[in-house]
Amino acid sequence: MEFTGSQTIAATRAQVWNGLNDAAVLQACVPGCEEFVAHSDDEYKAVVVASVGPVKARFKGTLQLLDRDGPNGYRIIGQGEGGIAGFGKMTATVTLADADDGGTLLTYVAEAQVGGKLAQIGSRLVTSVANKLAAEFFKRFNATMSASADAANPATAK
Amino acid sequence: MYETTYLRAGSLDEAVAWLREHEEARPLSGGMTLIPTLKQRLAAPSHLVDLTRIDALRGVRVDGDRLFVGALTKHAEVAASPVVASALPALAQLAGVIADPQVRNRGTMGGSVANNDPAADYPCAVLALDATVVTSQRRIAADDFFVDTFETALEPGELVTGFEYPLPLRGAYAKFRQPASGYAIVGVFIAQFADRVRVAVTGAGASVFRWQDAERALGDDLSEAALGNLKVDETMLPDDANGSAAYRAHLIETYTRRALQALLAQPRR
Repeated sequence: MEFTGSQTIAATRAQVWNGLNDAAVLQACVPGCEEFVAHSDDEYKAVVVASVGPVKARFKGTLQLLDRDGPNGYRIIGQGEGGIAGFGKMTATVTLADADDGGTLLTYVAEAQVGGKLAQIGSRLVTSVANKLAAEFFKRFNATMSASADAANPATAK
Repeated sequence: MYETTYLRAGSLDEAVAWLREHEEARPLSGGMTLIPTLKQRLAAPSHLVDLTRIDALRGVRVDGDRLFVGALTKHAEVAASPVVASALPALAQLAGVIADPQVRNRGTMGGSVANNDPAADYPCAVLALDATVVTSQRRIAADDFFVDTFETALEPGELVTGFEYPLPLRGAYAKFRQPASGYAIVGVFIAQFADRVRVAVTGAGASVFRWQDAERALGDDLSEAALGNLKVDETMLPDDANGSAAYRAHLIETYTRRALQALLAQPRR
């Protein structure tokens, strides 16, 4: 039940890797993020309002970074606990490679799980919804990285 | 359920005004998805704006070569309507196989289409028939309406008021039901118009989509032979607990064939 996606980012691999490890960048990538606090070097605590279709609920969660292998990639685990609503968990393995045009190709392979009441009404939707959330996360990441790369090198700005 | 304020709109203008005034309000139609979500405490709207008493948004009629259906028309009403049965029988048949009798007697066409559940039946008809979605502020072509899982072109505070279906020569819907929920694991709607054939698929992807290879093949030759060994691109289908991507692709091919058989068995309008 894995799904994959990719983004070509107009920034160097080192810049992308720094972004992937930058709390402010990560926070900007989480849709509906209300709070984002570093708990340790590789774990953040977050409060997120997840809004998908009829659902709009506040989740407390963590974002963990594992198996760091800079500047090649890592594993990122997002977990949300919505109290009575249940929980959701998504694991994504992120790989970076140099793209042909000097940018960076980011690919991810992700997997999602839900439990509790969320699973009761949502188990048939998990893959579609998780796919959409992951795509949104990496799209925002791309936008953030491309914007800051442009700011750092105004000559190459489009 | 969290506490919320219930407002009963007497007119479309009143409903739109309330939705503008209260940012965290949600419109309520049949409530077949929203109410269970609220009961599970998965949403906490400040206000529920009940649309169901806006009688102007209910009913069906044919005008020339178009069928008009009000957004608040219930599935059971579409299924039993002599007007729909004579103008667009495939739509009546589709409405009759949505979920179960309880849902069909509460759920509305506008609610189902605005929610855009990836396994809902009505979006498949709207897309295959190239219908126009009429809203409180504009007209949206079906091809532009469905964006992604639970995502449509609707803006906050914009309400679906009705649908205009161009009448096809023939149409048919074939569905493989999830046995418990009645949702489509795969549903295929084929519409034959004078100048083209449209094929829409629900249940199998992130959102309803058109199978354009089948449309081209059937547009040239409306027969089972034309489908031949046409394959669906598996890479765009989800792989999950309801079925692998390969299984879903096979179901699409099979149910397209079944919808076509049903279509060819009908007289042209």
